[in-house]
Amino acid sequence: MVFLLGPILLVVAIGFSSGDTVEFPPPGFSLRWFDQALSNASFQQGLLTSLLVAAGATLFALVLGIPVALAVQRHTFRGHKVVETLFLSPAIVPELVVGFALFQQLMVTMRITALGALLIGHTVLLLPYAVRVTGASLALSDPALEEAARGLGAGPLRTFFAITLPVMAPGIVSAAVLSFLTSFNNVPLSLLLKGPGISTLPVEMLNYVQFSYDPVVAAVSTLLLAATVGAALLTERLVGFNKVFSR
Amino acid sequence: MSRKATLGLLLTPGLALLAFGFAFPFVVTLFAPPAADHPDVLGKLGTMLTDSYVLGVLARTVRVAVTVTLVCLVFGFPTAYLIARAPKNRQGLLLALAVFPLLLSTVVRTFAWLVILGRNGLISDAVLATGLTDRPPELLYTEFALVAGLTQLFMPLMILTSYSSLSHIDPGLEDAARGLGASPGRAFRQIVLPLALPGVLVGATLVFAGAVTAFTTPLLLGGSRNRTLATLLYDYANVKLDWGGASAVALIMTVLVLVVGWASGKISAKVATS
Repeated sequence: MVFLLGPILLVVAIGFSSGDTVEFPPPGFSLRWFDQALSNASFQQGLLTSLLVAAGATLFALVLGIPVALAVQRHTFRGHKVVETLFLSPAIVPELVVGFALFQQLMVTMRITALGALLIGHTVLLLPYAVRVTGASLALSDPALEEAARGLGAGPLRTFFAITLPVMAPGIVSAAVLSFLTSFNNVPLSLLLKGPGISTLPVEMLNYVQFSYDPVVAAVSTLLLAATVGAALLTERLVGFNKVFSR
Repeated sequence: MSRKATLGLLLTPGLALLAFGFAFPFVVTLFAPPAADHPDVLGKLGTMLTDSYVLGVLARTVRVAVTVTLVCLVFGFPTAYLIARAPKNRQGLLLALAVFPLLLSTVVRTFAWLVILGRNGLISDAVLATGLTDRPPELLYTEFALVAGLTQLFMPLMILTSYSSLSHIDPGLEDAARGLGASPGRAFRQIVLPLALPGVLVGATLVFAGAVTAFTTPLLLGGSRNRTLATLLYDYANVKLDWGGASAVALIMTVLVLVVGWASGKISAKVATS
């Protein structure tokens, strides 16, 4: 456990260092790296891009994925195993390969912009999570509720919004948080899908680390860590962390 | 609306995106990358498979992945077991702590290793302080660094999947075996291990596939002296601009992952019926 968490705590400590290069233990305590991190233009642009792509992709993945989860869980049809596997497949294929493929096909051949390609690529990447997690929450709920509503005369749309959606709410929140984080943190897929003024934060951080060796990255990492912990705690309050992982 | 129509409506948008944004680009790029002048991927693949450098990279990738998987098994499974046997109200917290790193970006998680293994890093300072040697050890940009970084990356995954199957095993079974006279070791081997195997197998497969396809960690910790398939692909695609070569490497990576997945499925099925 120490092995797992140690390095992370280390990064946090360095973020607060007052030294000029990355070293441990740090010579002193200073907030100047945080200041630098927040005012760095490429990090700012990266953050904006990452937030935009993550939010957009999560939205699209849920909008497309929830119907699929509904179809698979509430309807039995021939080939439903195939469909399930199909929607899990983006998670199995190496991300770098997908990124490369999308770069070739979407950006080079079809001349779609980097932002568009990023959105499409991330949505595809998130689909398995959207389908699987919302599907799990559907599977745990009782279809009898919906049948009862239909029996009482509610139409399919009304049943969906009044019964199904609220029942799925924990699953949807979990899927949304998981998807958002997955998209935000992604490196391989986003690496090749770059354009003028468009690249995600992890990619920018990667570039920075390869050419400079100062604690700014540690400061950014600490900020991201804090944000992630915040999001996780929020989800726990809303939904219960265990539910996200029990399948 | 008829059942079939509803079904179609529910599935079509998702399937359409999968086809357009995933399946089609994937298949096309793998076999005929559009931007290449002479997209003869299979021919390129042939040349590559006889190139000793590429074979070396392939061997390294597999070697590292196997090592990482084994280390994760050795350290991850016991951790998962301990968590599963911990008092119920602690389990959530322990699990969250173990799994929490998965929520962070690979860049963040790998960066820490640069600090620990670098010339002025933690281990370096420690070794110099003990006086074992007076040259700072070259730990960065080695396979060791790769294995360490990747193990940290994937350990939570192994713990999670092992825990998942361990938590479903009734502790009463172990106690029953003990009550019937079996030693703790025997009870563990004959009761817990077989029942936990499916989850462990899933974990091992995921870790292996992840280690083979990992990119950020090999890039930062391996350097150009220790390429893996993933960084090789990146090199072809972004530096050499050899699209055909990149596609060939992508093909190798994908086949490797698919083969392992298929083999794991077969083993899993066999274990389930034995």
